[in-house]
Amino acid sequence: MLVVLVLVQAVTFLLLVTLFGLTGANAPTIVVNHDQGPFSQAFVSSLANDHHSFSLTFMGNETVARELVSRGDYVAAIVIPQGFSQSIQQGRTVPITVYVDNINTDMTSDIQRAVPSAILSFGERLDVEGLNVGVSETDLYAHDTSFIDYMIASALVLNTLIIAGTLSAFSVAEEFESRTARVLAVSPVHPLVPLMGRVLATTLVSVGALAVAVFLSLVGYGIYPVYPLEMVLTLLLCVLIFGCIGAALGAVMKRTLPVAMFILGIALPLFLFSGSYEPERFDGNLIWGAAHLSPEYYAVGLMEHAVFGLKVTPEPLAVLAFALVGFGTGALALAGFYSRRGFH
Amino acid sequence: MSENVNDEPVQFKTVSCKVSGKDILKGITLSVKRGEIMGILGRNGAGKTTLLSLVSGLRTHASGEVTVLGERMPPRRTEFRRRMGFVLQEDALYQELTVAENLSFSASLYGVTNPQERIRTVLEVLGLFDRRDQVVATLSGGLKRRTAIARAFLHDPELFIVDEPTLGVDADARHAVWAYLRLLRSKQRTVIIATNYLDEALALCDRVAVLEGGRLLAVEEPSELVKRAGICIDIECDEETANRIASSVTSMKQVARVELTLSGISLFLVKGADPEEVVPGFGRYGNIQGFRLRAPDLLEVFKSFGDTT
Repeated sequence: MLVVLVLVQAVTFLLLVTLFGLTGANAPTIVVNHDQGPFSQAFVSSLANDHHSFSLTFMGNETVARELVSRGDYVAAIVIPQGFSQSIQQGRTVPITVYVDNINTDMTSDIQRAVPSAILSFGERLDVEGLNVGVSETDLYAHDTSFIDYMIASALVLNTLIIAGTLSAFSVAEEFESRTARVLAVSPVHPLVPLMGRVLATTLVSVGALAVAVFLSLVGYGIYPVYPLEMVLTLLLCVLIFGCIGAALGAVMKRTLPVAMFILGIALPLFLFSGSYEPERFDGNLIWGAAHLSPEYYAVGLMEHAVFGLKVTPEPLAVLAFALVGFGTGALALAGFYSRRGFH
Repeated sequence: MSENVNDEPVQFKTVSCKVSGKDILKGITLSVKRGEIMGILGRNGAGKTTLLSLVSGLRTHASGEVTVLGERMPPRRTEFRRRMGFVLQEDALYQELTVAENLSFSASLYGVTNPQERIRTVLEVLGLFDRRDQVVATLSGGLKRRTAIARAFLHDPELFIVDEPTLGVDADARHAVWAYLRLLRSKQRTVIIATNYLDEALALCDRVAVLEGGRLLAVEEPSELVKRAGICIDIECDEETANRIASSVTSMKQVARVELTLSGISLFLVKGADPEEVVPGFGRYGNIQGFRLRAPDLLEVFKSFGDTT
């Protein structure tokens, strides 16, 4: 068991590093080119080839592009106006409109840096003197959210997984180590009932620990939630669901030390591809699709909304909450199944 | 539903069981009668605990049929577990809780009515009342065992399953546990105990099922088991004298078996043989420092079944 766990740890940390490298690059960006002249084509080419910050999608309809950015499918939409080529030729100032999902300042800054850089590169390539291209930025949200603040909100979710998951996994695995699980297994009550009693007890401890973390984020970081009640409810839901997941892992693994190691081992990689420091859909469809397997993805979506009013997943909040409940229900079923099996 | 469940609460019909692909029980057929103490006797690894696990439902048999209190195992309903009490090989108590708290938790699991009154009664019977507020972790092995037994008896089950009732307990605790199990029998409760102590089987059991290597060797009264192995005479003497005695008894029909030991020689007599007919005259073979009569031990019982290990 320990050998397998060490291997799992080795793989998860490799996964962690890989995910760290894969995320945060090639932001999905729309280009709406109203001008079909040679200069606009050259500018698009400059955006595509000189800067790996973008993963470009081309569209003809500016309204649709703006909606897609608003919906959170894309980081930004760059609109090249009609007459762009002609204006360049005549040396007139050309405004390029950029709609940005300023969900956190990290991503916004990337766009703000990348577009002027592309313009500069475009100018060098054309060898045009006195190139006058201006950027007009339109933000999706009225206020900016700093990168650290964004991460603090998602870190609360990570905290919850580690605290509630580890505590409940530990308490359930302890029943197996001390052999009391056998006494429960031969009793007329399904073992899940008393095991959930233990999980609820650990939930109270987790809530206490999280209260300290929330207090620190309020006082230490000055983060005041936009929807305080929603944040409290989200955290309580997360404690319960992650507690159930911990209980399932405890019942499956049946040993305290390995299960604690396992939760710590998987928590960080899961966290990294759950939209913890930027919306996960910005990291490409493959990673975004895989992120749906992680309960942290749904929890981070709910938390970022509760704390900052941000919508970091395309799924509605209700779907996120139901998905979390689904994870919890599945975990309970697993815990119930394994609480009467695997005795040696 | 078995037709004679009232007479035989536990029935095994050609039951086999595998654990991790290994055959642990092979074709066991066994019935336990109501109101008896049935001993499952066997050495370590014989399959005793596995057999009890099939009764408790912790394991599932590979073939054959197991019926417990009229319920075909594995059980579809768990309600019948209220009629059973288990003392597992490990005490499996909540170490951080007191004796009374452990019992109180069990009472809630089994839906015991008037739990506090019942806990008091059981603690008094087992001599644990004065320890009721003591944390289990601070109890001796014997007291923990008694607490585990008290917990299993709390809901007054009709079938009581005890795996190694006196494993690792001192003599006082051992006798207290025995007295309690006899009390259960007097109340017409059915008890199955797994043990590897022959004296425990002799002291407690009405019948004994002897298991070896997953097979059932015999089911008989403990006294019959002892007779089968024969009364043993241990003679303390030097090696030369022991060899002479061994040669001399080969023609004696009262002697079933001879074993040379470190301290001399052991003679196992056939059923009904009188030791006084065998012993006189041994003095002529050499210097005999002493001798004693005793019942055979478990290993000797197994040897009487033809085991040569």
